[in-house]
Amino acid sequence: MRAIDHHAWTNRWRDWHPAEKLLPAGSLLILTLMLPPLTTAPLVLTGMMVATVRGAGVPLQTLLSVLAAPAAFLLAGIPFLAVSVDFAEGVNLHLSAEGLRLALTTTLRALAAMSCLAFLILTTPLTDWIAPLRRIGVPAGVVELILLIYRLIFVFFERALTGHQAQTARLGYSRVDRSVRSLGLLAGNLFQRALAQARRLEIGLMARGYTGELRVLAPKHVLSRTRLAAGLGLVGLVGATSGLLARGLS
Amino acid sequence: MHITEGFLPPLHAAAWTAVSLPFVVASAWRINRLMRDQPQIKLLLAASGAFAFVISALKLPSVTGSCSHATGTGLGAILFGPSVMALLGTIVLAFQALLLAHGGITTLGANVFSMAIVGPWVAYGLLRGARWLNAPLAASVFLAAMLGDLATYSATAGQLALAFPDPASGWVGSFIKFVGVFAPTQLPLAVVEGLLTVAIVNFLREYSGDELQILKFPSQTVAVEARS
Repeated sequence: MRAIDHHAWTNRWRDWHPAEKLLPAGSLLILTLMLPPLTTAPLVLTGMMVATVRGAGVPLQTLLSVLAAPAAFLLAGIPFLAVSVDFAEGVNLHLSAEGLRLALTTTLRALAAMSCLAFLILTTPLTDWIAPLRRIGVPAGVVELILLIYRLIFVFFERALTGHQAQTARLGYSRVDRSVRSLGLLAGNLFQRALAQARRLEIGLMARGYTGELRVLAPKHVLSRTRLAAGLGLVGLVGATSGLLARGLS
Repeated sequence: MHITEGFLPPLHAAAWTAVSLPFVVASAWRINRLMRDQPQIKLLLAASGAFAFVISALKLPSVTGSCSHATGTGLGAILFGPSVMALLGTIVLAFQALLLAHGGITTLGANVFSMAIVGPWVAYGLLRGARWLNAPLAASVFLAAMLGDLATYSATAGQLALAFPDPASGWVGSFIKFVGVFAPTQLPLAVVEGLLTVAIVNFLREYSGDELQILKFPSQTVAVEARS
């Protein structure tokens, strides 16, 4: 988790206007879902990986670990899609070419879509995502709630980690029943601390004239038309190439 | 069980987003009004949201060899009530997609439906039902958390079955197939989650009755016991 956040704040494209990254990656994500995956997905996957590693300078290893996050889900999904069940005469399992094809296209599509998501989360800090929410009509209070959650996640994560280490050092996770008890204690403790923290924050803010709104400076990003055009050009290229390939294959 | 980015066909992804949207908007409206009336609730909700995220990132003790994570939907519903959980759950799920790469943007609607809407409502309904029948608190909490977890998982199975009907036996066959594949890992996990939630609620009743009373949301069932 901290690896993703770390690269989001330190990569080479961090200061670009969020729209320059969001529009191309978002369009590619939509293309991946709409066009036939066999031709589109490999192109999107390559394009996004090159942009993330060569362009934004995120280490390949980090990118691969992000892409591997849904691996367990996909591996479990393949037999589910490939094997067909028939209840007409008892339980009858069979492997069909159609099922295999579905499993292949779905896995490819998910991987390509994942590469778009990986590009976005590794190059754009979360705060850049949250500011545009206000423009699409999310109430200011809710946007602020989201920003507060973002900050507190890291505070609590640190505490959970320390608590977990302390419990492990005292053999709190040596058996399954102990693990459940330890985890329950950890979570309960964390919740209690979370509420105490909320109360302290509230008192501290009240003392500073808090009326329900936190005013912070947002960094100004300048939109570069060249970069935006280049990004959208890449999307057009991927779309056109995969269209041609699909026609050639059929 | 987060459905991975890009796994659902576009039509299904859009449909589940459309189904979840009214719940989330209603919840945002309610929370916004709560926050306007009592500004301090914002900090309480923020702390709870961050807590839910961190809990969901903790690994559950492995039972069948697979490591998995708590869903926290049961606990959230018990502490805050389902109408608050819809927005809070959506924010947590979005953070999971953006900070942990679990789930995704296109499948956010589907994941919100199973984890922030179905799970919490089932858990909350069961808790109220069990308390109404005068069941002991620990048993009610266990049932609510365990069956809430199973409801979440069945909803996910249903979503996948609808998206990928079996060529021979249609979506019913597909649903059975999916439940069969994941039941060996999900059943013990649901039991562990139930036990874990009981442990957390017990701890909170013992040590933080005051804090439970701040949560004046619909959780009187727990809070009243904590006072006595």
